[in-house]
Amino acid sequence: MTDATVSPEFAVNAMVVDDSPLKFELDPGVAAAASGGPTGSDVGDEQVVTMWKQRLRIFSHNKLALASVGYLVLMTAACFLVPLIHPTNQTNQAATFGTVWNAAPSWHHWLGTDSSGYDELGRIFYGGEYSLILGFLAGFITIVVGTIYGMISGFFGGITDTIMMRIIDAFLSIPYIFLLITLIAIFNRSTVFLICIIGFTLWWPNARIIRGDALLIRQLEYSQAATSMGGGKLHIIRRHVFPNSISNIVTVATFSVADAILFLSALGFLGLGIQTPQTDWGTMLQLGTSQIQNGFWWEIFPLATVFILVVVSINYIGDAMRDAFEVRLIER
Amino acid sequence: MLAYILRRIAQSILVLLIVMLVTFTLPYFQVHGILAPAYQILGVHATPKNVAHWAAQNGMNHPYIVRFWNYVTQVFFHFNLGRSYKQNNSVWGIIKLYVPRTIWLALSALILTIFIAIPLGIFQASKRNTVFDYSATGSAFVLYAMPSFLLCMLVLDAFSFHWPHLPSSPPGGVAPWAMFTNPVGFILPVACLTMLSVAGLSRFMRGTVLEVLVQDYVRTAKAKGCTSRRTLFRHAFRNALGPIITILGLSIPALLGGALIIESVFNYGGLGIQTVTAATNLDIPTVLGITLLVAILTLAGNLMADIALGLVNPRIRIEGAGR
Repeated sequence: MTDATVSPEFAVNAMVVDDSPLKFELDPGVAAAASGGPTGSDVGDEQVVTMWKQRLRIFSHNKLALASVGYLVLMTAACFLVPLIHPTNQTNQAATFGTVWNAAPSWHHWLGTDSSGYDELGRIFYGGEYSLILGFLAGFITIVVGTIYGMISGFFGGITDTIMMRIIDAFLSIPYIFLLITLIAIFNRSTVFLICIIGFTLWWPNARIIRGDALLIRQLEYSQAATSMGGGKLHIIRRHVFPNSISNIVTVATFSVADAILFLSALGFLGLGIQTPQTDWGTMLQLGTSQIQNGFWWEIFPLATVFILVVVSINYIGDAMRDAFEVRLIER
Repeated sequence: MLAYILRRIAQSILVLLIVMLVTFTLPYFQVHGILAPAYQILGVHATPKNVAHWAAQNGMNHPYIVRFWNYVTQVFFHFNLGRSYKQNNSVWGIIKLYVPRTIWLALSALILTIFIAIPLGIFQASKRNTVFDYSATGSAFVLYAMPSFLLCMLVLDAFSFHWPHLPSSPPGGVAPWAMFTNPVGFILPVACLTMLSVAGLSRFMRGTVLEVLVQDYVRTAKAKGCTSRRTLFRHAFRNALGPIITILGLSIPALLGGALIIESVFNYGGLGIQTVTAATNLDIPTVLGITLLVAILTLAGNLMADIALGLVNPRIRIEGAGR
């Protein structure tokens, strides 16, 4: 919910605000690049550990961020472990004919049953498996593709950069949800395709942010020093540009996961999400809200709370990481 | 300034061509090939002869390059977006019916967003780290983390069924002026869309104003004895205007995307509902036409933001003229 996630298009501006060249001067890569020799890189590795420790310390001072991590871990664990410990029927429609549909919470069904007779509490965990896996995998795709694309574009510059950036402009000018719907109409709707399609739709702004980073780092002294010492382009990307933009990459990746979960839920609402009898949180919320006037609160509010808290905590973790990585704030 | 605008327009047209190339090529990757819609339209029992006839009718018997060339020339020189596979209408005819409705929704929300988000951002920044600031940030966080349809459904339930004062749906007719027959019907959808976009923007607004408030000229203004209100509006706000305009221009895709969900929830026939229906029916020309139109709207928004930026910021104007 910071500038980078408001809507990923805004992130470009956020980047300009957030990145200070100072950040890179403190980075260990500088020391390693400057001294050059094998001992230099040893010193560098040692500093990497302390730098990450320092970041971890700042992050752990933020109590709300720790709570967010705790909640996310707990929720993920619950989604994958609770169905193993206490299995409920979530896929066999025929077996639900014995249960009351839309039943209010009771001792037997702690959060009642939904409009198909599935146990609501068990379904929250069952749908969570899909939402979380899809969110994290799609987020992972966005960041891997975005990083590679952005690095190439920003580092090579010139005509390559111009063409690659115009392509990004083209994709960013189509609102995500329109692009998603078009892609889903064209490809089929299996879970694997959904992951790829959401990943494909959301990686463009990430590529732009990372390209900005690469462009900046390429012009810094240590990159130029490495070039003058005969370092090849690939070497410089791998040893200098990538390590120095890793903090930005991790932060952007976090926001992408939250966005992917949100977009999956929007697709679920439009009936284009995961197909029955499998389900995800978006589809469940759609089912619940479609009969909101009947007062079946147990089909909406428990899940809505779980869902919103998951997205809020992912976004908050991203915020806290940005604070931790902002070297200007680190007292030496 | 003129050279700057012309260069930006040329860039936008290039981007538009890329959009056309990509959206035109994508249907070739359909699981059942470019003729997949034929089976959707003609039914599963269509014979190869039927399919070939359908392909010839829709100009699909030409090679890819020829088809793309025809598409581009038709769009640019004849404003012809092709014919819908499913509805007995040209794509432009469908768009003409629904685009004023979507624009009306999005534009009212955009104007309200400007009048809410900017003062909110300034107020939050000037009263930072107070209870008000925290609660505004907190609610924006929650609103942003909420699926937009959930917010709409809750608002709809609260204000249309529990306190039954407001109509649950805007007027539905597609006649050009039908949407103005019952303005009260727009309160809920416009309010929802505004809330969503304010939630997305307020954090950025706060950040921008904060960034300006720590600048030297603000300190100077305070030092020479400006009242805090005068400092805020005369010095800080005017300098924060640049990033705010850019971000408003960039918020257009999010606004149109939000409008798609709002239209589905409030059953308001606009481009969004048309897109979803066309996509589920594999009505490719309609999907391509609407996507292209939305891209044009977005690019026009960015272009206008850039021009407005040049107007409020002389530095950009001069830089642009210099090139």
